[in-house]
Amino acid sequence: MSKLETIVGLEVHVELLTQTKLFCGCSAAFGADPNTQVCSVCLGLPGETLPLLNQQAVEFAMKTALALNCQVAEEITFDRKNYFYADLPKGYQISQFFQPIGTRGYVEILSDGEPKKIGIHQIHLEEDTGKLLHVGDILSSPFSRVDFNRAGVPLIEIVTEPDIRSAEEARLFLHKLRSILRYLGISDCKMEEGSMRCDANVSVKPRESSTLGKKTELKNMNSFKSVYKGIEYEVERQGRLVEEGGEVIPETRHWDEVQEYTKAMRSKFVSADYRCFPDPNLPPLDTSRDWVEAIRKEIPELPDMRLDRFVQEYGLPLYDAEILTASRELADFYEATLKVFQDPKMVSNWTMGELLSLLNDAGLEIGDCKVTPESLGELLKMVQEEVISRNIGKTVLEEMFASGEKPDAIVEKKGLVQISDEDALSEVVAKVIEQNPKSVEDYHGGKKKAVGFLVGQVMKETGGKANPQMVNEMLKKQLDSQ
Amino acid sequence: MDFTNLPLHELAAWVNSNPDLLDEMPKDFSTQCSKSQNLQIFISFNPHNLFQDVVGVKETLRQGKELPLAGATVALADNICTMDSVTTCASGMLSTYKHPFQARLVEKLQAKGAFMVGKTNMEEFGLGASGGSSHFGETKNPWDPSRSAGHGAAAATATLVTLALASDACGEARQSATYCGVVSLKPSYGRISRKGVIDYAPSLAQPGIMARSVRDLALALEHTAGDDPADPTTLQIPVPAYTSLLNQDKKQTFRVAVLENWDEAPGLEEKVRDAFEGQLASLKNAGLEIESVPLKSFQEAYLAAAVISAVEAFSSLANFDGVRFGLRGEGKSLQEMYISTRTEGFSSKIKEFLTFGALVSNEEYYQDYYLKSQKMRARLKQELRTCLEQYDLLLTPAVPFAAPLLAESRGSWPLPDPACYFTAAANLSGLPALTFPAYAAPGLPAGLQLMGRFGDETTLLQAALRIEKENPLQLPEHEQGFNDQGVC
Repeated sequence: MSKLETIVGLEVHVELLTQTKLFCGCSAAFGADPNTQVCSVCLGLPGETLPLLNQQAVEFAMKTALALNCQVAEEITFDRKNYFYADLPKGYQISQFFQPIGTRGYVEILSDGEPKKIGIHQIHLEEDTGKLLHVGDILSSPFSRVDFNRAGVPLIEIVTEPDIRSAEEARLFLHKLRSILRYLGISDCKMEEGSMRCDANVSVKPRESSTLGKKTELKNMNSFKSVYKGIEYEVERQGRLVEEGGEVIPETRHWDEVQEYTKAMRSKFVSADYRCFPDPNLPPLDTSRDWVEAIRKEIPELPDMRLDRFVQEYGLPLYDAEILTASRELADFYEATLKVFQDPKMVSNWTMGELLSLLNDAGLEIGDCKVTPESLGELLKMVQEEVISRNIGKTVLEEMFASGEKPDAIVEKKGLVQISDEDALSEVVAKVIEQNPKSVEDYHGGKKKAVGFLVGQVMKETGGKANPQMVNEMLKKQLDSQ
Repeated sequence: MDFTNLPLHELAAWVNSNPDLLDEMPKDFSTQCSKSQNLQIFISFNPHNLFQDVVGVKETLRQGKELPLAGATVALADNICTMDSVTTCASGMLSTYKHPFQARLVEKLQAKGAFMVGKTNMEEFGLGASGGSSHFGETKNPWDPSRSAGHGAAAATATLVTLALASDACGEARQSATYCGVVSLKPSYGRISRKGVIDYAPSLAQPGIMARSVRDLALALEHTAGDDPADPTTLQIPVPAYTSLLNQDKKQTFRVAVLENWDEAPGLEEKVRDAFEGQLASLKNAGLEIESVPLKSFQEAYLAAAVISAVEAFSSLANFDGVRFGLRGEGKSLQEMYISTRTEGFSSKIKEFLTFGALVSNEEYYQDYYLKSQKMRARLKQELRTCLEQYDLLLTPAVPFAAPLLAESRGSWPLPDPACYFTAAANLSGLPALTFPAYAAPGLPAGLQLMGRFGDETTLLQAALRIEKENPLQLPEHEQGFNDQGVC
């Protein structure tokens, strides 16, 4: 075990899936042409900087605070964080500095199989900034252009306590957090699109020491993988420095995705003193008990609870339950299928196995899937009732996945109904026995396994439609009677 | 017909009964204006739109709709946004800026038949009323052109308009009205929507109304006040029918607290002392019972207001960065562009004020200045509330001095401004305040101020109407118009 201990705290920004921006009626949708979702308020035009608080954003933030076991503030207040930058229309960002909406919560992760609580220091609601666009690199670009579509989009910032002890724990925390936030339906949490962003405060200290080491802040990590790699790299860099008797300089470091290293950032001329003070245009909003309780009631069953229930109620192995509950949509799909076809393990096998691998190969999410829970249930019913074989079932599922057709329609169209008619099969069985004297000989010579080969031949002859159980029995009966 | 001089309710009655009278209005206004162009009251006019507006209002009247402000001419301070003329804030920063919308109060006034005749000169961004910081030169006081006129009240004094409107963040509209000898009202905080008004201190500012009579104030307030979903700070309470309530004044007496030690105000002039004392003696006739009341935190009010307004201004005017609108200075980098834009665009007065705001809100001074001022504000609010539980009104002088000489105000500005000594308390507390002129000697008027309970403009207006009857408003003689040498 290393003599140094890793200390990590994360600051996670999440864009909320509200229809409109935090303080005006502009659309908050992602991906529109530059400056097409702006108005006089989010552009900060003179005389137009009166913010109208988006109630839905407050409720989303409150819901998150409750789901992360936080205390909810008694009133919602906003403050101005003052600094100049071209992407910041008003010259200040409206944020919650003095009174965050949620404080003192936690998220539980499984670290090395052991449950561990990662403390949530605070959750606050704020507006996003615009985006600077450059030709190539910021330094060589002859000009900067600004897209204000994102300016004013609601964000929540989730700040953890420095409870994270490794890059792996950071990764586990982010996965759990994303899963919870997606269950809540408050964000799509796509790191690649920037709707989830993560900065990491990283330091190392001798294991026995109680004082924290100097920390660096890592930025520009645009995927879960780069958060992991960035922290790993930074821990190693700091460890090397400390062991060589050097000192860690507290600074902001930029993760270079391509060359996989961190470098000290060219500092912006942003003052560290934001001169925060309460925004005089936003009267405090009381969070009544009734309101908070109503929001609490809207919180769906969260991944941990659902996992436990899947194990208890459906008797699923932990492994199955973990995979199925990691995404709310997948778990919903699973349970909807169970309504049609009541064999939990069989539905789990098909959902996790066949369906997920089809989705992965196609690079799709469960939400994009053409197979409905109803049609998957019907398919499984046909397999269980031996209308079709398991293998034919897989073929039918592929077809369903591609076309979205109903399983019975596919089976009928392609004539895939399993042959369980003894008269129809006996002819083929006789033919196979006649054509494979070697196997017949082997069988009689004691190699009982030879019957497997013969079953295979019958299946081949029937295009896979023969009921393998029946074929097996018929073959044995024929051979034994010879 | 004398459009710019008639009392508003009389004017509106005439116009409602005969809409064609409106045809004369634009000419009447420009005739009046030409008589007083030396005073430099307006930054911009829009006579073209005035004719268009007349057609529109006539049409509405012909359809049988009654318009309570029909025929009213309104001067807007140039930080109240209009979409068909420039809105400059009297600043080089916005000298050609056209806003995309009308301010809410402009929409409301227009919907009731009032005409926006022009945008008045003011101190840059509406800060202070002593003169000297406008990008467009100095407005001269109709009583004495060597003196300051502040924000637009001169337009009412010179009978160019029925109403003048201006922001009042530390008392600017009331100071302007006092310097120019007309009445003014700063309503309770949130009474009138600030949507489309470029305020430098949002927690203090309210649009103020200036006019030649209390009745005109009441009528204008009635039709500009009200909840606005676009302004989260507007009051969500019904707007009383102030004009009819003015006629239902059945009170025997008003109990009026007079601020003890009012005469300790910095820079208090003899003229103001005499006018105030003279007025006190005559209040009894108007049914006002006065009693001297100590208010310990009152004398700190203007200090707290200076700090709070400067902090809010430094932040609220940060959007003037040259990126999206207004002046853009040269620069090789973003930072250089910021510096050149703000160096060229702002007057030295605003720059000093913003620097002060940045200073008193930084980490080192936040506790001792900004936070302390907010505590002073809370104490003042509490003390005023207690006082107004016992008394109907609080009476003080409006400004410690009469209109200052323009020459004196050029170049240096006191921070905090003693002109706000009596006015800032109403902004800090959000209470409504009304000022009216008082006279000790011929010439330049002084002013008195009444403050009332939060949300109760009615009592203020009723009491002021009684005083007005005892003490009618005087205007400078100006039959021949004004020129640089003073009243012709």
